[in-house]
Amino acid sequence: MTNTLAKPTGNVSVDTSELSSAGLTRTRRNILSGIGEPVALLGALVVLIAIFSALNPRFATITNLQNVLNQASLPIIIGVGATLVILIGSIDLSVEGVMAASGVAFVLMSANTRGGQDMGIWAFIVPLALGIVLGAANGLIYTLLKVPSFIVTLGMWFIGFGIATILYGTDAYPELTNETLTQWAAKIELGLPNVFWLAAALVIVAALVLRYTRFGRAALAIGNNEDIARANGMPVRKHKVTTFIIAGALSGLAGILATMQMGGTSNHIGEGYLFLTLPAVVIGGTALSGGKGGVLRTFLGVILLTVLNNGLVLAGVSPNFQSALSGAILVVAIVAAAWSQRGRLRIAK
Amino acid sequence: MNTSFAATASTGVVGQTNGGLLQRRIGKLWQALGPLVIFIVMFGIVAILTPTFVGGGGVTIVASSAAPILLVALGQAFVLNIGSIDLSNAAITVLGAILLAMTLGPLGAVAPLLVLVIVTLFGAVNGLLVAYMQVPSFALTLGTLGIFQSAALVVSGATTVYVESNGELVSWLYTTAIASLPMTFLLGVIVAVVAWLFLRFTRPGQGMTAIGKNESGAIFSAVRNRGLKVVAYALSGFMAGLAGTTIIAQAGSASPMGLGSDLLLPGIAAAIVGGTSISGGVMNPINVIFGALTVALVPIATTALHFDPSTQNLVYGVVIIVVVALTLTRSRSATVK
Repeated sequence: MTNTLAKPTGNVSVDTSELSSAGLTRTRRNILSGIGEPVALLGALVVLIAIFSALNPRFATITNLQNVLNQASLPIIIGVGATLVILIGSIDLSVEGVMAASGVAFVLMSANTRGGQDMGIWAFIVPLALGIVLGAANGLIYTLLKVPSFIVTLGMWFIGFGIATILYGTDAYPELTNETLTQWAAKIELGLPNVFWLAAALVIVAALVLRYTRFGRAALAIGNNEDIARANGMPVRKHKVTTFIIAGALSGLAGILATMQMGGTSNHIGEGYLFLTLPAVVIGGTALSGGKGGVLRTFLGVILLTVLNNGLVLAGVSPNFQSALSGAILVVAIVAAAWSQRGRLRIAK
Repeated sequence: MNTSFAATASTGVVGQTNGGLLQRRIGKLWQALGPLVIFIVMFGIVAILTPTFVGGGGVTIVASSAAPILLVALGQAFVLNIGSIDLSNAAITVLGAILLAMTLGPLGAVAPLLVLVIVTLFGAVNGLLVAYMQVPSFALTLGTLGIFQSAALVVSGATTVYVESNGELVSWLYTTAIASLPMTFLLGVIVAVVAWLFLRFTRPGQGMTAIGKNESGAIFSAVRNRGLKVVAYALSGFMAGLAGTTIIAQAGSASPMGLGSDLLLPGIAAAIVGGTSISGGVMNPINVIFGALTVALVPIATTALHFDPSTQNLVYGVVIIVVVALTLTRSRSATVK
């Protein structure tokens, strides 16, 4: 701008300098908005940690950190699947049903207090396969019959829960008798719980897949604009089915891990996980309309909500207020995210 | 969806074959009568296989358990019709029921009206945030769901709240019946008929459907989209409050974990089974009645048919998917999310 004042006659150079400076600010703004949200999340996390540390000295201890990460692991694992599904613009509500089905199958196939035979490795393979089958059913009904994913997965929620109820029967609560299994999740390895290492590995794999593979780029493309993705020859249907299979398998895995953490299971094992994970995904900044976001954001979102819940308990806040605080944070987060894009003609569903 | 709309607007458009038109007519007829047919078929199967069902008060049981589902589903359908969703409405029902149980004794006949005003305002707040902050409704109402749940826990002290006196002011809704249909259900039917008239014959009603079909188009046609969104959510809150009233009428008490806390998914299922499009622009309140009846019939039918009770959820899930797959209006080009 100072250039323009110094040389009022140089019209052409004025134009280019204005253009380039405008271009520069635009790229700078893009970069800022790209990292803005994660930075805001990290900032919020730091503030929360500072407040809770001041309120209760037991908050900022290694034991409590391990505890928080142990609690966060299952929502992270479910969140990876949920993020992949939400990125393509769909939704998977069947999480809790699939968890129940695989959890009950797992406990009944392992050594448990109801007796029965210990099936060894099959106790893991069959429940995971159950998750994969239910996920595949989600994907196939959704893509072939064109039933909206919301409804298919809503139905599959009940179907999974129904399978769990039938498998569970009416006998006594089955508990795992193998202590290696029940203690595996919380066991500390290299300073962190086993189950968190597993969750972190899944997040890293998913982040790399989303960033560097054809499958990952296709997820973003489909979520952004499915018609254009299809017109460009992307195998949209195959991609969607695969995504729902991955989500189903991860829900199945979460069912097994939840059972191991609880030391036993009933058909209610998955309860509460869906409405814990979905807000975390959204707070992380993954758009429900698809095409924007990622698993690292979901990771941050889950950690934020888990720290909040853990800190509130340690600060002595009544648990009755917890869902209100998570809800309020969710509302503030989405209002903040949408604030800059408001416009009279903008459509938000 | 747009194409079928255009076809009805000008029947016999140039270039349309008779076969295509006939197919479309059948599709339209199925869309209008599908939910009714499905309910009658299911009810017929139950009635034939269990002859004591109809004589033994089965109709009353189905209608009374359908009543709160119907009211919640009608509110949900209004929100779905504008292309959004309200995940918080069942939580509003529970909160409304608790507030009513607490105020009915001291305030008497004013209490139901006061509670209905309050829950309508709750709904309107949802609508204001969705319309003016332009946030995705799924995430927003997921957040307010948590807030209403907490409010219900805090207000009730996390226990069951009993109606102390004046219970007869609302309980007659449950105890009075016309043609073995309890008033709670008939209330839902009346609301559905009024809703149908509102949607079909008034400018705001048509505006809401226009928003659901094509919001940009509606804005350019001077439809007051933001105001109508607030109205749709306020209606959802109001009807959730009515559902809360039917719960108090039936049970005389309310608790944050009790009756009504699991209405969210049946409400959505009933709206969808009743032919409401999840992507907006298609809603017939009369069909939502049959959607709610179908949803209420499934658990009762599995018991009446002597299925093992543990199969109930499985049957429920299958019915939702099959019924929607049967009644869905598909168009070749549309993107399904």
